[in-house]
Amino acid sequence: MNRFTRRALDFAPLLLFVAVLAFFGAQSGKFLEPRNLVNIVVQASSTGIVAVGMTFVLLTAGVDLSVGAIMFVAAAVAGKIALGGLPLPFALLAMLAVGLVFGAVNALFITRVRVAAFIVTLAMLFIGRGLGLRITETRAMNLPDSFLELGAARLLGVPLPAWLFAATLVVAHLVLTRTPFGRQVFAVGHDVEMAKKAGVRTGTILAVVYLISGLGAAVAAMVTLGQLGAVSPKFGEGKEFAALAAAVLGGTSLFGGRGSVLPGTLLGVLLIQTIENGLVIVNANPYLYPMITGAVIFVAVLLESLRNRTPGGRA
Amino acid sequence: MSTSDLTHHAPRSTNKLRSLFLSEYLVLALTVLLFVALVPFTPGLASSANLLNIFGYLLPLFIVAIGMTLVMITGGIDLSVTSIIALTSVVGAKLMGEQGSATVLGVGAMLVLGAGLGAVNGAVVTLLRLPAFIVTLASMMFLSGFAVWFTQSKNIYGLPASFLALGQRLPIALAVTGALAVTAHLLLRRTVYGRWLYATGQNATAAHISGVPVRSMTFAAYVASGLCAALAAVMLTGRLETGSPVLGREILLDIIGATVVGGTSLFGGKGKIAWTFFGVLFLTVLDNALNLLNLSQFSITIAKGAVILFAAVLDATRQRFNRLNA
Amino acid sequence: MSRRLLEFIDIEKSFFGVKVLKGVSLTVPAGGMVGLVGENGAGKSTLMNILGGNLRAEAGAMQFEGEDYAPANPQDAARRGIAFIHQELNLFPNLSIAENLFLTKFPRPRARPWIARGEMHRRAAELLREVGLDVSPSRLVERLSSGERQLVEVAKALSIDARLMIFDEPTTSLSVREKERLFALIARLRARGIAMIYISHTLEDVFRLCDDLVVLRDGEVVKAGATATFTNEKLVSLMVGRTMRQLFPERRLPARRDGDEPQAGLEAGAPMMEVRGVSQPGVVENISFALHRGEVLGLSGLMGAGRSELARILFGLGPRAAGEVRLDGELLPRLTPREMIERGVAFLTENRRTEGLCMDAAVADNLTLATLPEHARTPWRWLSRESLHAAVTRIRDVVKLDAKARDAQPVRTLSGGNQQKVVLGKWLLHKPRVLILDEPTRGIDVGAKFEIYRLIHELADGGAGVLVISSEMEELIGLCDRILVMRGGRLVDEMPRAEFDRERILRAALGAESQGGQGI
Repeated sequence: MNRFTRRALDFAPLLLFVAVLAFFGAQSGKFLEPRNLVNIVVQASSTGIVAVGMTFVLLTAGVDLSVGAIMFVAAAVAGKIALGGLPLPFALLAMLAVGLVFGAVNALFITRVRVAAFIVTLAMLFIGRGLGLRITETRAMNLPDSFLELGAARLLGVPLPAWLFAATLVVAHLVLTRTPFGRQVFAVGHDVEMAKKAGVRTGTILAVVYLISGLGAAVAAMVTLGQLGAVSPKFGEGKEFAALAAAVLGGTSLFGGRGSVLPGTLLGVLLIQTIENGLVIVNANPYLYPMITGAVIFVAVLLESLRNRTPGGRA
Repeated sequence: MSTSDLTHHAPRSTNKLRSLFLSEYLVLALTVLLFVALVPFTPGLASSANLLNIFGYLLPLFIVAIGMTLVMITGGIDLSVTSIIALTSVVGAKLMGEQGSATVLGVGAMLVLGAGLGAVNGAVVTLLRLPAFIVTLASMMFLSGFAVWFTQSKNIYGLPASFLALGQRLPIALAVTGALAVTAHLLLRRTVYGRWLYATGQNATAAHISGVPVRSMTFAAYVASGLCAALAAVMLTGRLETGSPVLGREILLDIIGATVVGGTSLFGGKGKIAWTFFGVLFLTVLDNALNLLNLSQFSITIAKGAVILFAAVLDATRQRFNRLNA
Repeated sequence: MSRRLLEFIDIEKSFFGVKVLKGVSLTVPAGGMVGLVGENGAGKSTLMNILGGNLRAEAGAMQFEGEDYAPANPQDAARRGIAFIHQELNLFPNLSIAENLFLTKFPRPRARPWIARGEMHRRAAELLREVGLDVSPSRLVERLSSGERQLVEVAKALSIDARLMIFDEPTTSLSVREKERLFALIARLRARGIAMIYISHTLEDVFRLCDDLVVLRDGEVVKAGATATFTNEKLVSLMVGRTMRQLFPERRLPARRDGDEPQAGLEAGAPMMEVRGVSQPGVVENISFALHRGEVLGLSGLMGAGRSELARILFGLGPRAAGEVRLDGELLPRLTPREMIERGVAFLTENRRTEGLCMDAAVADNLTLATLPEHARTPWRWLSRESLHAAVTRIRDVVKLDAKARDAQPVRTLSGGNQQKVVLGKWLLHKPRVLILDEPTRGIDVGAKFEIYRLIHELADGGAGVLVISSEMEELIGLCDRILVMRGGRLVDEMPRAEFDRERILRAALGAESQGGQGI
């Protein structure tokens, strides 16, 4: 595979994005209206924040399948606290705590006990879902209006969720590209043993990325709560797959060591959200959504493996 | 160039507890222990009606777990089995329930579809060399979504009596399961294919150099997994009397959990049908007992999640123990 | 300040019971340049790994700058000012040059958590200037050539203020220009007082650069002294040496070689495998030779000469761009290992742990892995336990596998020698026509070696053709009927038993002629 094809593959996400915009734009005039485009970004915020956390994990060649469940538990806890009469900040803090605790448990099993990341986080997915259902007693919880108000608040005309998403993107990007920790994440992802020999604290790095992922899920839950104002038993369901798809589509390698939050994950999230938004606008059958996400993940991973066939990549 | 320097050996343990810990009958012992311990506290645990219930849950689970065992032995995993169950269920139900096809045709179609879907998984894993968990994850999402779309989220009824018998008549179900289990067991233990499968999981490179058709064996494992999922779907659909697009969704964790708890390693190269049976039995008894004790469904999910985590930890610990003792 | 910068005192080290370093003592004077030469397996890498903190010596001690030196890990070595320029470079291709240089010591502005980019690039640029690499520090390492990456490694050494640099085979992947650039850099660094150890098989370079030479052989220092006291020839003969006589089974009677008493039906000496013009760009070039029935053919050469790669290509494990391979007269298309096995070819690889054995599987399972179909009945390929057991018992006896090793024991628990016997047994059960062995006695004790030699002879006597790749010259000389020598992917010499000459083999492998010596 020559340089040209390799470069083309790198641009694939952007090309796909433009293609999707063009396709849906042609289908309906409403699609390219600025209001709709802003809408897309707002809708993408929740998944986007989770995807940013997932990017950190993927960069170390790991995976976190429990993020959706973490969102659920965080939201459920927040609901209980808020409905119990405590002020909003308490609820928000509790959500962050939930994210950290789950992240820490994941990190413990993955780095200390050395169980494969996907099985640990898969087990935590089920434990989390169960826990969430327990807390909400399988009923939907309607949260006090303070949440919705927060979600609908606007700064300079742009909704808060979008700001949060932007902030997350910027902070994550800076951490990954401008801090020692971030650069070491890339080193660890390329080759853990070599990084260890070079003196990098690989254990710490591998643990911290799962904390970040858990935190990301908690923040995303805040955003979703702000948009929905309620916690249903299906809260956060499927988010892990959407986040995974977004990150991989954006160019983050499943094998670690390669990827970016800006523009990578941002593009990936926007692409997926655009597809979903577009499907709604053209009144497509809602049953198609999970299939499309599944197909998208598959395409993303396929492109990924093709990229890795070049001498520059690892097969 | 690092060489881990093993100039010392961990002391050879003759501790009875340790040998039990590592024994392959640990899980069976735990199951019996669990059962016996809970009988006085759990009303109806040992009643014949309940035992029938246990079988009803156990048999389809065991069937899928057999396929999963084969895949795990090669070092892979198949997360799409429950979606294959769902899809074959609704396709079969559509054929037999709505279009009135003969049972034989319906069942045949289900099995062929299951095997076919497994073949797609297998092809992607072996030819494109993508990690099994992501491939089967994507499959799961796609197929599950497809099943829901196919039925517009509605269940399908009206299945012929002859088909229902397959799932509801215990002797038939037992016979089918037994036949499958024995076949798989013999395949693994007494045929060239079994040896090849183990070698593929233990060291695919060495196996390849020794002439083992590694790619074919891996492919076949996924086909088998799909086929088993379809067979389980036959039983479940018959028992519930409906083709449901969400059939089996809750048992993915059970399937993986049972297989790993039984002793099949996630790292590949190790696994036995008998072990999987012990694991399935354990999980079924656990599930059943917890239900009878009136624990909420979510507590049960949490418990199972914890069990699978524990089993994976055990697996990882055994790996390290073996490496150190060499 | 001591005039000795680095001292090794009686260093000993064993691997799996086999002694690799037998009490090595060596000195590097302050500001000196010591060349370390020796054949493969002489112990150079092990010694350097101990120096670098990757391994720990069993006995002996090290002193650096007058103080005790016992690194627990590579970071300890770096802290003391010892830097390695390895053959396989330890750079992260997905990071920039500057990031690689400062991976664990990024400059930060006044305790802020982020990287001081400007400062990092400035310092990196400075280091790059010192090593003469005219590339932007923000370039990703994956975009650099081998020579450029090596210079970055040297820059990394400078960044830790190294006072001792060790170069391990630095010129193998360099062009002539890059080599000269590296040597100029080495001269500049030496002028700054940095001491160096230079390990290389290119004797010409060693003579050119080094003040002192140390010759290692079989884990011992055979001679150390000023370069001026050595000649090329003397060096080669020291490397090769007259070691204590290895025990070799008596080679077959010449009578059979003349065709007097041919084995039943066999035409002694007919070519079993003919290789003609086999090439794979970048790996091997224009390889042609024949392996005869009943012959033990040795393949000698340095690591990196392409011997293992050639074997893999012949067995179907690597691509073959051009050339023909004939087996017993039949022209072979490019086949998979499975198909080669079906045609009676067997391949014992270099790495028995990763490619030869399923370490966690039982002895019996490993032994029968390549021949399972023979014990099976159709249609289900049902295995006959008796047949398998008989084969296992028989082959255990043939290879003289340790009787204490039970059939069901995992192979991981056996000694290296026994493990190798299991791999060999696996292939012998197959009754191959052609057996390719890559380093068959690596890491094995003398007793087991003898038995393996015996088996090789028996196999050849039975009419098979055996190709033995080995880095131990003594072994090839004692074992083979003919020896081929490879260098740089080509066949450069061939000699029948009557002409076996240690120095000739080594010279061909090194590319050193009697006078002066020719570089690559």
